[in-house]
Amino acid sequence: MADLQAELQTTTEVGALDSLPDPFAAEEPYTPVSDPDTEPLERAHAILAAHPVADGYSGLPWALRHLPWFDLELGESSVDTDVPRLREGHVGALFWSLHLPESIGGDRAVGATLEQLDLVKTVVGAHPEGLRLAHTAGETADVRHCGRVAVLLGPAGAAALGDSLGILRSLHALGLRALTLSGASWASEAGLTRFGEEVLREMNRLGVLADLSGASADTVHRAIAVSKAPVLCTRSAARALRPHPANLPDDLLAELGAAKGLCMVPLTAEQTGPNVRDVADHLDHVRAVAGPECVGLSGTYDAGTAHPQELADASCYPHLVAELLRRDWTEADIALLTWGNVQRVLRSADFTARAARERREPSTAKISDLDG
Amino acid sequence: MSSLGTARELLAEFPVVDGHNDLPWALREQVRYDLDARDIATDQSAHLHTDLARLRAGGVGAQYWSVYVRADLPDAVPMTLEQIDCVRQLIDRHPADLRAALTAADMEAARSEGRIASLMGAEGGHSIANSLPTLRALYALGVRYMTLTHNYNNDWADSATDEPNAGGLTAFGRAVVREMNREGMLVDLSHVAATTMRDALDASLAPVIFSHSSSRAVCDHPRNIPDDVLERLPGNGGVAMVTFVPKFVLQAAVDWTAAADENMREHGLHHLDTTPEAMKVHRAFEERHPRPVATAATVADHLDHMREVAGVDHIGIGGDYDGTAFTPDGLDDVSGYPNLIAELLDRGWSRPDLAKLTWQNSVRVLGAAEDVARDLQATRGPSNATIESLDG
Repeated sequence: MADLQAELQTTTEVGALDSLPDPFAAEEPYTPVSDPDTEPLERAHAILAAHPVADGYSGLPWALRHLPWFDLELGESSVDTDVPRLREGHVGALFWSLHLPESIGGDRAVGATLEQLDLVKTVVGAHPEGLRLAHTAGETADVRHCGRVAVLLGPAGAAALGDSLGILRSLHALGLRALTLSGASWASEAGLTRFGEEVLREMNRLGVLADLSGASADTVHRAIAVSKAPVLCTRSAARALRPHPANLPDDLLAELGAAKGLCMVPLTAEQTGPNVRDVADHLDHVRAVAGPECVGLSGTYDAGTAHPQELADASCYPHLVAELLRRDWTEADIALLTWGNVQRVLRSADFTARAARERREPSTAKISDLDG
Repeated sequence: MSSLGTARELLAEFPVVDGHNDLPWALREQVRYDLDARDIATDQSAHLHTDLARLRAGGVGAQYWSVYVRADLPDAVPMTLEQIDCVRQLIDRHPADLRAALTAADMEAARSEGRIASLMGAEGGHSIANSLPTLRALYALGVRYMTLTHNYNNDWADSATDEPNAGGLTAFGRAVVREMNREGMLVDLSHVAATTMRDALDASLAPVIFSHSSSRAVCDHPRNIPDDVLERLPGNGGVAMVTFVPKFVLQAAVDWTAAADENMREHGLHHLDTTPEAMKVHRAFEERHPRPVATAATVADHLDHMREVAGVDHIGIGGDYDGTAFTPDGLDDVSGYPNLIAELLDRGWSRPDLAKLTWQNSVRVLGAAEDVARDLQATRGPSNATIESLDG
């Protein structure tokens, strides 16, 4: 068999250490892709072409549900997101939210979530030249290399689980990859119950990311402690700059940063402010408190909220990146912000799931047993 | 060689495709899906009709696991997802014996690997809550047939064991059938009213199945298939899978069950009541009137007739194990199929006929549904019909 190996391994002397590769080798240095002497907007396009945006939240599924007819490939003026604008904005991947209006709760949430999953599949299938479903970090990169925009399924609301881990596993089998831990008896203002913690462990085993935007502070603390995979906040800015219930105070941002989670800053007037500089202020703050590996972007388009000036739709990301360049963000930090951090979190979730499945059987816990 | 020996030899080559087994519901009811407490890798004859060793002994090569949920509870869709999760777990736990199957090709692959192809069937249209997107989601999760109703009517189809309401299928019911055709999900007509059977045969572009139904001419029970419907199967290409449930296949058992139910009502009890006092009344009745016992020959009578009327290319087997309290003698659990095949051999059934009955017809029908789906998907997109828009 030796002739099949590229290089022969040298035999190690008894008592000597094996010549294994250094597991903590320094990462390769970042190679710049733009010319620092050109205009910021031009640089922004160059950087985004190499490191597209992985957007943490799109409300498109619910917005499309009520349109009788639409064409995302040609351009669709009744929503903020379509393929031409995603391309113009250099969006390479986005999470499509499966959140439901609050009026759909209880028994109906599970069925309505199945309908949303079917809708996303149908819509993505109808736009094969622009969109493609992705379920893992690897698939997301593959889709990008094929010149398509990767669509990831989630987050769904906690009510979609109908308080059952079996339903969680079925939704995962249908492609669900993120779940918001709020709006259920086991993930409420009071934090996670014992069943809630079991849900999170099962999510780790499957590879479903925990989204903590809108979750109570107690839930955030507990989820960070329990989760083996990094957690997300798909729509959270800095509360120090703007008081909004879904924005994170500095202590939680620091905790999230220490746990290598990801705070994805929404481009909404309500949470971040009326113009692009306000959004940049939030990004500056989250980067300073949580760290450059823990900040991401969340367009939050088509979710029924107003957006800052210059960031009206999914095509506007270059303006935001240009603003960050004016503030002396390094290219390396921008590459992490737009693409790298989301890839890392997705990959960690995949690894965690693979490792957890070796150790754990599917959980049979029932809410009535754990929460009584 | 004895007939039984020949039967086993035949089944080794062309094993049984069984249309209906309620193990998932039994696991839910008995142990709330604690699969360690009912480990089917070990002998479960004290609790269940089904375990791996008995499936092997019975010569089973493919099983449609029913993801049935009760129709009288509000959350049918969430419960169906739990049932599906149960089947997936069973498959994951026993990779040497079970193989997930989504297509006819998967069934053949499982047969050549010597594993039991595991498919899923939903029992009752209530599992989609009047929603075609939910139907498509069930298909995406692996469900390959849906029985249009269970014991009660739903909003768009009449059941065999309920009062006539829609008079068959409503407009939305026909849209459900067509969407199943488009997905490649088999339309199962067990449990439905004869009117619904005829409407579905009119509406369906793909072959239909009866996952567990016998012949009404042999034993007059509404759960069985009338001859005029059996006669339509050659034109449709479908398969009627004979069931073993004594109270559907043996006339004496039908009559006895009716008398026992009447006796319960005379005592002011519901006929399905299983409380201790109700069971006492029931046992007293059973002591006075011994329960008639069906045998493999009873089931063979049905198959003889069904072969005569529908043709040998349109019959199969659907035992309904773990979905019925009583089973025929000789077909007591999933290890019993060789006894049925031996009985048919004694009646002069040929080897090619038996291969069609056990394996070939049921594999063919799934493949045919796939072909129809491929054609339909090339011509139209997913339906966005709603029950409100069609049935008003």
